[in-house]
Amino acid sequence: MSEVIVITSGKGGVGKTTTVANIGTGLAMMGKKVVVVDTDIGLRNLDVVLGLENRIVYNLVDVINGGCRLRQALIKDKRHPDLYLLPSAQTKDKSAVSPEQMIKLTEELREEFDFVLLDCPAGIEQGFKNAIAGADKAVVVTTPEVSAIRDADRIIGLLEANDIRDIHLIINRLRPDMIARGDMMSVDDVIEILAVDLLGTILDDEQIVVATNQGEPLSGRNSQAEEEYRNICKRLVGEDIPFMSIRQKRGVFQRIGGIFHK
Amino acid sequence: MKPFLQGKRRSAGYARDRMKLLLISERIDCSPQMMKMLRNDLIHTVKKYITIEEDQVTIQITQEPPVLHAEIPVLKKKDR
Repeated sequence: MSEVIVITSGKGGVGKTTTVANIGTGLAMMGKKVVVVDTDIGLRNLDVVLGLENRIVYNLVDVINGGCRLRQALIKDKRHPDLYLLPSAQTKDKSAVSPEQMIKLTEELREEFDFVLLDCPAGIEQGFKNAIAGADKAVVVTTPEVSAIRDADRIIGLLEANDIRDIHLIINRLRPDMIARGDMMSVDDVIEILAVDLLGTILDDEQIVVATNQGEPLSGRNSQAEEEYRNICKRLVGEDIPFMSIRQKRGVFQRIGGIFHK
Repeated sequence: MKPFLQGKRRSAGYARDRMKLLLISERIDCSPQMMKMLRNDLIHTVKKYITIEEDQVTIQITQEPPVLHAEIPVLKKKDR
């Protein structure tokens, strides 16, 4: 039983690619056979986030055009034996592929892998239509900001219009300090506004930038974000994992500082 | 439409209210500007028959299922 999941957001820069990289790695570490597919033709990035940019020979467009076999384009991540990347083309544009061709490709991948994760481009044009064409379910990534939430709502509407009704939400870049003082919408606020099922919440974590700089996913960094990505992976394989309450992790010095601020 | 208790609220509350209003209007394809026009038309129509407090009229559309709510305070005879 394999699943094809599209990770989408509408707005750019909310953390789709980072989410795909971390969920892909997390599922592979749980022993699932995973392929992460970069569907952003012309603006590929999943390869650099995973640190696999130097190993690309063939890409998604080559596979679709018959320029190579699927196996030749798949890059195996040496750190995680069950994780593969299908990179996007950097020189073509989004019109190089049609939704029908994407459906055919995902069907082929489905036979080989337990999870096919599709990293969707920003926007609602051709690239989005291609990415969602072969998906069974969708993970919508948003941040607690008005622009990201508005776009997420639009994307949810478009997914439903395309008969994808299994939609889950990840709220990224939460800042417990800002939520506590009422300057950032809370998880409950966002869920109430968007009215979809929550899959996970990720705190704004500087380790994500550090990990991306090094071309590694978060695994083993012992950060809150890593823990929550792991929880998301467990929920995706059907485990019932309770949601962590969003509370600020405060160090001793901040606590002492807090006393003086009162 | 200025939110109640202005000045005391923090920004997250504004964001939440703005998003609720905007997303509902976008889902039913009726812009906030059209909502304003609807409100004016409602006032205009009701005014022909009864005296109302025009500046207290509020309209909103609630979600699931979407319902249009209009609150139109009516002036009593002695207040006129």
